[in-house]
Amino acid sequence: MKNYILSLFILLYCLSSYSQSSLPIYKLKSLDGTMVSTENLAAKDEVLVISLWATWCVPCINELDAIQENYADWQEETSFKLVAISIDNARTSSRVKPLVNGKEWDYEILLDTNQDFKRAVNANTVPHVLIVKNNKILYSHSGYTPGSEIDLYEKVKEFAQ
Amino acid sequence: MKKISLIIITLLSLQAYSQENWFSGSFNSNAQYYLDDNKTGDFNEDDRFRSNNYLKLDARFNHFTFGIQVEGYAPQAILNFSPTFDKKIGLGNYYANYRTEKLDITAGHFYEQFGNGLILRSWEDKELGINNALIGGRIKYSPFNYLQLTALYGKQRKGFDISDGEILGFDTELNLSDLFKLENSSINVGFSAVSRIQDIENAAPNFNKNTNAFSGRLNFSKGNIYTYIEYIIKDEDALVEFETVKTDKLATGNALVFNTGYSKKGFGIDATFRRLENMNFFSDREQEGNLYNEQVVNYIPSLTKQHDYSLTNIYVYQSQPKLSYNPIGKSGEIGTQFDIYYNIKKGSSLGGKYGTKLAFNYSTWYGLDAEYNIVDRTYSSEFLNFGNKYFTDTNLEVRKKWSKQWASIFTFTNLFYNKRYVEETVGKVNATILVAESTYKISPKKSIRFEAQHLWTKDDKKNWWGGTLEYNLSPKISFFATDVYNYGNELKKIHYYNFGGSFTKNTTRIALNYGRQRGGLLCVGGICRIVPESTGVGLTVSTSF
Repeated sequence: MKNYILSLFILLYCLSSYSQSSLPIYKLKSLDGTMVSTENLAAKDEVLVISLWATWCVPCINELDAIQENYADWQEETSFKLVAISIDNARTSSRVKPLVNGKEWDYEILLDTNQDFKRAVNANTVPHVLIVKNNKILYSHSGYTPGSEIDLYEKVKEFAQ
Repeated sequence: MKKISLIIITLLSLQAYSQENWFSGSFNSNAQYYLDDNKTGDFNEDDRFRSNNYLKLDARFNHFTFGIQVEGYAPQAILNFSPTFDKKIGLGNYYANYRTEKLDITAGHFYEQFGNGLILRSWEDKELGINNALIGGRIKYSPFNYLQLTALYGKQRKGFDISDGEILGFDTELNLSDLFKLENSSINVGFSAVSRIQDIENAAPNFNKNTNAFSGRLNFSKGNIYTYIEYIIKDEDALVEFETVKTDKLATGNALVFNTGYSKKGFGIDATFRRLENMNFFSDREQEGNLYNEQVVNYIPSLTKQHDYSLTNIYVYQSQPKLSYNPIGKSGEIGTQFDIYYNIKKGSSLGGKYGTKLAFNYSTWYGLDAEYNIVDRTYSSEFLNFGNKYFTDTNLEVRKKWSKQWASIFTFTNLFYNKRYVEETVGKVNATILVAESTYKISPKKSIRFEAQHLWTKDDKKNWWGGTLEYNLSPKISFFATDVYNYGNELKKIHYYNFGGSFTKNTTRIALNYGRQRGGLLCVGGICRIVPESTGVGLTVSTSF
């Protein structure tokens, strides 16, 4: 057990060095069946927020609901967009479209049904958000508790400048 | 082991000196220390301390990506994992990939899904201990944006070993609306073929060792309406009973899925019909029905609501694709599921200041209506008739924001669960569950969440209650206490309590908990396993970089 704890801390320490990495390029299906490349999600210099979520994940829905409440105001203030990538598999992916519409979310929605993109960005769990600019990942965050959306927006503003 | 450590250290030190990441990865660790408990029973196995560890590293150079996943189960895997995960440290996955706009070639381990996975899906779930990655090669070619071709060959992983069976697969997907420049509607068609090749000793004459499956699918959407249909047939294959492969008892399989829906702003409805007949498909025939869901070629999740609360996760349906004569005749399942989402507008009398969000779900599943000849091991089934009822579930979820500080979610569930057919034990369960949760924001980033649950049933283990208290001190730190109590059970009343806390910064999360794990079905993503009760301390660490 000692060895375990020791190696854990060494590893975490090594991994804590932070530098930016580029966004993996994947083609994902949109809700109408067309393939969209993750490379073309945002315009040049535009801040892009990618949220990995699932219909069965209550904190994910809470986060996207919370952002939706402020989305119009925030977009007026800062130029950015949010793309919500659902990692729902075949069990629940048919729920994505009615749920998104039922909730009146204004986000662009993409599907990652076998979680290839989730694996490529090394997200351990959902919700997982990435802030991207010019296809570089500038920030990422896992999990949601009420109020996290404020921190996220602070980061968006910081990178938008 | 030394070699692997050396590679990791080299990579990590290189990383520290580079300005831009040319490699990325993640690390997960789940450690448990099991304790004796006079209520859940003493821990009588080896190694009270156990841990599952995963380090994934991907390196990218222009069009090339190389990756490994090192896995360590030290001193052994935590309870309920397959014994095939048997190394203290070992190379789990490794791959090399070359990718351009049109071409995508992988050698080594890869994950793949054809269509909805009904014919083929290889995937990973660390929590459930599932990793049926294929090891071999895969080529994806997309000559035009509207056409996707995939060809693959490989064997499935089983722990640190690989399966006996070989898988050969081909898939094509064509976007007709892109091809014919249709502007008002979208049409996609797909076709897949999968072949499982496995030698078998002393097979009956004329037995075909290759099992082929073919599927066709169509996606259509126009305006607010959408539709999906998929049909699959599987060749004659041997009946497997108690790990014995009977090459003289053959049966074909098939499945039909039909999904349709309508949605517009503020409203969505979705309906699915599915019929499965003898659709179990394993890389290795002898592994049919194994406890750990290893070497499964296709993916057949139960089409029911995926619940998020502890008491709604006690009676969880598991899809029934298999053919069996013993102990009871079963040949598949048939049923439907409906979902309705509705947003009551802000400002209306029911909507209030912030609006009210409703989600309704109903699903019902039956066995096929079939006659079984136990002696000859043959059966005949009706196409659209419903047999024995296996499961029904009605759910209503209401989300309501009362004020800037208060928000609530109410969930009502009524279910019928046929234990005799789903678990092949005895009994039927009718249960009603109510869950109410409220979150109160003390300040913009500080909140407290309460959850109260109750399950009413006169059957099985009788009534339960449950409660959760969660305190989110900041987006970084939170604490929870939860308890579920089977107070209606005359024989065994236990508080399954859990306490813990977590720390999150960016993508790093450290969580510590102490408590009792309820025995029974552990379900994640619609796949369930039976787990025994246990008590212990758990530490979870995850990060990505």
